[in-house]
Amino acid sequence: MPLKHAFAMLCLCISAPRLAAQDGEQLYGLYCSACHGADGKGATGGAFPPLAGSDWITGNPKRSVAIILKGLHGPVEVSGKTYNLEMPPQGAVLPDDQIVAILNHVHTAWGNQGQKITPDLVKATRAEFESRTDPWTAPELLKLYPLELRKTALANLTSRVYKGQWNSLPDFNAIESENVEEEHNGILDTSISGLKDHYGIVWEGGFMAPEDGGYEFALDADDGARVLINGQPVSEVKGIGPMGGNRGSTGKTNLTKGENPIRIEYFQATGLVGISLKWRKAGGGKWNWLTKPSNAGNGGATGIPLAPQDGKTVIYRNFIQGTTPRAIAFGFPGGLNLAYSADNLAPELVWAGDFIDAGRHWTNRGQGNQPPSGDMVIKLTDRRYLGAEARFRGYSLDSMGNPSFKIVIGDQLLTDAWKPGETGTLVRTLTLTGGSAALDIPAGGDTSVVSSQSVNLTPGRSATLIYKPD
Amino acid sequence: MRLPFVLAALITCSFSQTQSDFYTLEEIPLPPGEVMEISSIALMPEEKVAVATRRGDVWICSGAYDDDLTKVTWKKFAHGLHEPLGMHYQDGSLLLTQRPEYSRIRDSDGDGTADIFETINSGWGINGDYHEYAFGTPPDKNGDAWITLCLTGSGGAASDWRGWTVRVTPDGKMIPTCSGIRSPGGIGFNAEGDVFYTDNQGPWNGSSSLKWLKPGSFQGNPTGNKYHTLANLPAPPEPADKSRILAERLKHPGFIPPAIVLPHGKVGQSPTAIEPDLTGGKFGPWAGQLYIGEQTHSQIQRVLLEKVNGIYQGAVFHFLEGFECGIIPAKLDPAKGVLFAGGSNRGWASRGTKPFTFERVKWNGNTPFEIQTMSAKPDGFTLTFTGPVDAASAADPASYSMAAWTYILQSSYGSPEVDQATPTVKSATVSLDGKSVRLVIEGLVRGHVHHLQAPGVKSASGQRLWHPEAFYTLNEIPAS
Repeated sequence: MPLKHAFAMLCLCISAPRLAAQDGEQLYGLYCSACHGADGKGATGGAFPPLAGSDWITGNPKRSVAIILKGLHGPVEVSGKTYNLEMPPQGAVLPDDQIVAILNHVHTAWGNQGQKITPDLVKATRAEFESRTDPWTAPELLKLYPLELRKTALANLTSRVYKGQWNSLPDFNAIESENVEEEHNGILDTSISGLKDHYGIVWEGGFMAPEDGGYEFALDADDGARVLINGQPVSEVKGIGPMGGNRGSTGKTNLTKGENPIRIEYFQATGLVGISLKWRKAGGGKWNWLTKPSNAGNGGATGIPLAPQDGKTVIYRNFIQGTTPRAIAFGFPGGLNLAYSADNLAPELVWAGDFIDAGRHWTNRGQGNQPPSGDMVIKLTDRRYLGAEARFRGYSLDSMGNPSFKIVIGDQLLTDAWKPGETGTLVRTLTLTGGSAALDIPAGGDTSVVSSQSVNLTPGRSATLIYKPD
Repeated sequence: MRLPFVLAALITCSFSQTQSDFYTLEEIPLPPGEVMEISSIALMPEEKVAVATRRGDVWICSGAYDDDLTKVTWKKFAHGLHEPLGMHYQDGSLLLTQRPEYSRIRDSDGDGTADIFETINSGWGINGDYHEYAFGTPPDKNGDAWITLCLTGSGGAASDWRGWTVRVTPDGKMIPTCSGIRSPGGIGFNAEGDVFYTDNQGPWNGSSSLKWLKPGSFQGNPTGNKYHTLANLPAPPEPADKSRILAERLKHPGFIPPAIVLPHGKVGQSPTAIEPDLTGGKFGPWAGQLYIGEQTHSQIQRVLLEKVNGIYQGAVFHFLEGFECGIIPAKLDPAKGVLFAGGSNRGWASRGTKPFTFERVKWNGNTPFEIQTMSAKPDGFTLTFTGPVDAASAADPASYSMAAWTYILQSSYGSPEVDQATPTVKSATVSLDGKSVRLVIEGLVRGHVHHLQAPGVKSASGQRLWHPEAFYTLNEIPAS
């Protein structure tokens, strides 16, 4: 009898149970957990937006319903990190009762305290946005349903903004501030400066410790920052650099219950901007943010600079700003660079200095065009000067990795070879073979950049152009 | 009372089969420090294996077949390519489907790195949107590569020929061949050499599916239809919104229905590679069947295809799981029966938690008790099994159950399961050799996915099925 009973039990387990529409956890596991993680922390160690502890869960519950119905497109900041992925719309896939179940799971699991989702709310939200065909963007949604202001542990916060060019934190006490403001929300926000580059901010106030004991403070910044509590340095990010790498620092200090004077110093040189600061009781527990997600930089989405290796030219084939989608870029030893358009069959960009940052395309999904890294990018041409019959036939590389582009024009072959020349120059050699027609090729760029404005090629002949992009 | 119960459960568990009883899945060590989000795999002579990466590198691995995988060596063959999603070795060259072009690359001076990068064709448009992927096959029997071109974003077609599949001939001509594509994850051949691709759930695609690229066919998503004018082709069908595939394909004969629907969530969420089993049984008793990679669930599914009334259909079975990352490409060596699979979860998460992986699967010669094939009959299905069944359990209709449903064909993203039906297993007749069962079923629904569960079926030696279910897409009900 027991044996038979066990068999019956096992059969029940083997046969896939029909999904109960009201089982939010199970549905979440089926439809959501691949990206958001079974634990709500975001799959793949946080490569995807977390739902556990997310600000997006609290406040107006229509925000959650709207996202699940219509999806979310483009950059979104969650818990101090920016994600640029794609939340597919589920409105056409999931019926209302499943959406209710999933969202009530998400709103209550992992310590979340979101509002209860009702079938009426889902039904009404579905009707309200019925005609909408595009996924939401984060700014659109936040305009409709702003995130709730969080009370932070920072009380009586003020900010002072300073102008100046620094490579490390200056002595702010020795500089006159441009502006002083009270920051009632208790949030460190770099955008209050109204500046893009070359500034500093000092925030001062009280850190309200909930009890006596040890506290940890985790700081990251682009560029530099430090935290002082009760006059003592607790953590510091030195010099210039991006966030999300290994520059961040976590410091520990003992505090007494109540208000402890805190001072946060920050400076921005140029480029990306951000500060993130969070705290928790020493030894673990939940992190609490003192910064806005929008101050948290780009989450390390850039920062894969490419450079020639072993004295050989480096190649980057991807979407490059200022030229066409079929671009092929070459970073030559010696610090000169070229972007060739296989659409327009011509060199389109040359620049000196760093080659290019592959971070945009080699992290997340890789959307958009990446500008070359050099400060002075010279646009040579932006149109196709060869006729419609001319076809790109690829390229060969010499032993140093320098390219020769091949273009077939009817019965003729045009070879367009590039390599570094004497200091600060690129040497371009054009060769025409086959056929009988001569070919005029504009060099692109003005006389300060190139040795001649154009070349006239006859079959069997070569011509050389010298480019000085520096 | 309690103790016997636990004991009984333990005894029962000993009957269950697990993957490692039959297949050995091993990670192939990658060069330390390299980011190798594997996008393509090509088998080469002398047991070398080439892999390409999403970052545009090609590496060649030696030792990937050897017992001791700690001794594999890697050589970087090329860099600076644009996201190759299709690679094949031919006559000393690698043929690559890159995002902007179909190319042939080779090493002309014998130094072990590529120096000739020849563009064979670049006839389709790209505009910088990450979604405009291009997946390509090895050359078909005519030497043509089939390249399937994802839409721009989830539902646009901003560049020429997005939403189409084209062929590129050996002399570099592009032949637009099929319309109606949404978001492919892989393309490949079945054992007969017909071309299939996997398309992901989204607009005009209620659930992910395996689709047959019959030349001239329309695959269901009209977003890229407008490009027919570029080549003076007839306009593809414009299906009605919120309809059903069956209704629309009967209106539009060029609309070929998915051969195999992969029910969303139940059989993966992001199908990818397509690889036929041409091993003649070296990879298990599945000769002539098809394997499909699965990115989100980090799995490989098994597919049995048959043609009814000129249309492909068939069953998908759960098969291999537990890969370290989402699977994108897979290659099965037909001579040696070794399966290579690689992948990445950048941008799309996967159950496997590593950011990228390269793995190998070998069959150890033990045959699992499994449904080997499932074939449609006018009044039911015939199942064949990998071994003799226990006649009592297999002949009991209560050992089986069936549910059926379909999806809405609509411009909205995906679809719920709709039009649910519950076909009834009336009888189950075991063949004389004990290796097949004829199911007579009342209430089959043309066009529906039929989900068969067979938890009660046992083998002659008392084993349960390794995977006691199948999903059959019944496009056509055979007349005889």
